[in-house]
Amino acid sequence: MPREAELSNIERTFILEALAQNIRLDGRARDDFRNLDVSFGDDYGACAVQLGKTKVNTRISAEVTKPFEERKFDGIFTITTELSPLASPAFETGRQTEQEVIVSRILEKAIRRSNAIDTESLCIIAGAKCWSIRADVHVLDYDGGLVDASCISIIAALQHFRRPDVSIDGENVTIYSLAEREPVPLSLMHHPICITFSFYHGGETVLLDATLHEEQARDGEMIVTMNRHGELCQIAKLGGVSVDALILLGCMNMTVTKVKDITELISTKLREDATHRDVGGLIAELSAQNDR
Amino acid sequence: MASNLVFPGDAIAGVNIPASKSLHPASGLYRESSSAPILSTLAGKLEQNPKKKTANVTAPNARYIPRVGDLVIASVQRSSMDFFHLSICPHIPQAILPQLAFEGASKKTRPQLKTNDLVYAKVLSASKNMEVELTCVDPSTGKSEPEGLGPITGGMVFDISTGLAARLLSSQSIAVLEELGEKLAGGFEVAVGKNGKVWVDCPESGIKGIYAVGRCLQETDCGKLQQSEQQKLVKRVVQETGLG
Repeated sequence: MPREAELSNIERTFILEALAQNIRLDGRARDDFRNLDVSFGDDYGACAVQLGKTKVNTRISAEVTKPFEERKFDGIFTITTELSPLASPAFETGRQTEQEVIVSRILEKAIRRSNAIDTESLCIIAGAKCWSIRADVHVLDYDGGLVDASCISIIAALQHFRRPDVSIDGENVTIYSLAEREPVPLSLMHHPICITFSFYHGGETVLLDATLHEEQARDGEMIVTMNRHGELCQIAKLGGVSVDALILLGCMNMTVTKVKDITELISTKLREDATHRDVGGLIAELSAQNDR
Repeated sequence: MASNLVFPGDAIAGVNIPASKSLHPASGLYRESSSAPILSTLAGKLEQNPKKKTANVTAPNARYIPRVGDLVIASVQRSSMDFFHLSICPHIPQAILPQLAFEGASKKTRPQLKTNDLVYAKVLSASKNMEVELTCVDPSTGKSEPEGLGPITGGMVFDISTGLAARLLSSQSIAVLEELGEKLAGGFEVAVGKNGKVWVDCPESGIKGIYAVGRCLQETDCGKLQQSEQQKLVKRVVQETGLG
């Protein structure tokens, strides 16, 4: 059975000793992110994120279904994560590892339960028809920072996605194809971004965006989700070493600036993509949306 | 040296392959029987050396497949009565290393290796459907020299591509290492495993020295740097770490 290469003893010792001297193996400062690249596909809602060597691809799709009985006025939004053996020998198809469960639970908590997507706007006819939006996250290459990269790719893909326009005439619903009417963007309430902190030396040393080797050597981790307004969506600290309150406050301040940077990068990339698509400046005329 | 591109399954034809029966298929090549044509198993560059009468296919990022005589850096997973069970790469089954296959080892003096300890070893046998067997001594002399096989202590292991590992193991000199040798006081030690691992120790410059060597190697590998770029990289890293 294939399994993840565990960190050898000398690697663990070296990483910890080097961190004590403020050296990271790739030459970054403790609070530096790796190179982050966000790119979009030809279709709406296809987004690829590369964070160092970690690669994540997200695809958003929409279909019309019946809403849940107990939530008649709400549409449906689901996130599915898939960690295939393509990314790392530690992942197997058909068998969920503990890590896969943690990643999908955190993403669920960070994006779905923080109401990033306005599910009421997905309702077409109460109790009868609604949009079901689905985000498929595929991990293509794995070198640590899975939650951060997946979250960035989902948020970017949701902002990029356009669902087909619909019109309602009594009981009849007409769904217009992309050729008939310009598709409409999803209504997002805010853009939560996850930042993972890794703790070393009993919580004294804090690292941002750890690589796989650094993740394997850490004493504890904490995942903080925040939006660019500094609103905290969730904190997950699943076991590990206990951390001083002042260090945690420092982490929060760091999160505020990092989240702003990342949100800025995503919107820059979205603008670039929009100008690329807007051949001849026709998109504004095609849209049926009003300016808000 | 002529070279051209081949794909898996391509027959290697039209080369000066001697008709001798004692032909050993090199890395990236495969032959069903002595009469069958030689096929490529990799997508990569076919390199032929008519003088040495050798041909092999090289692909810089190919997965490592154990071959007899390769030097590897493997990590101990567990030990049983007579063997250590080692992992060479996570994607291939574990290899075995007899507990007595160390220099001067006897029932009483054999090394005590713990889980996740590293060993520098040589592939003794690697045949189909059988466990790969490693050794830390030269079977003919009973010595660990000249390769310096045995348990690895201290230093740090860095991951590199199999292509760079093969280049480091061949006698080709690599600008980045030459340059580092000049810049780092007291020099440094490396041991290269063909499975894409390189062990570095730098007793004089300590952690900073090891970090500088590892980072230069990895960046040269990822960026496919040319000679002048490698020299610039070394200068930059040495300056950053304050060693030069």
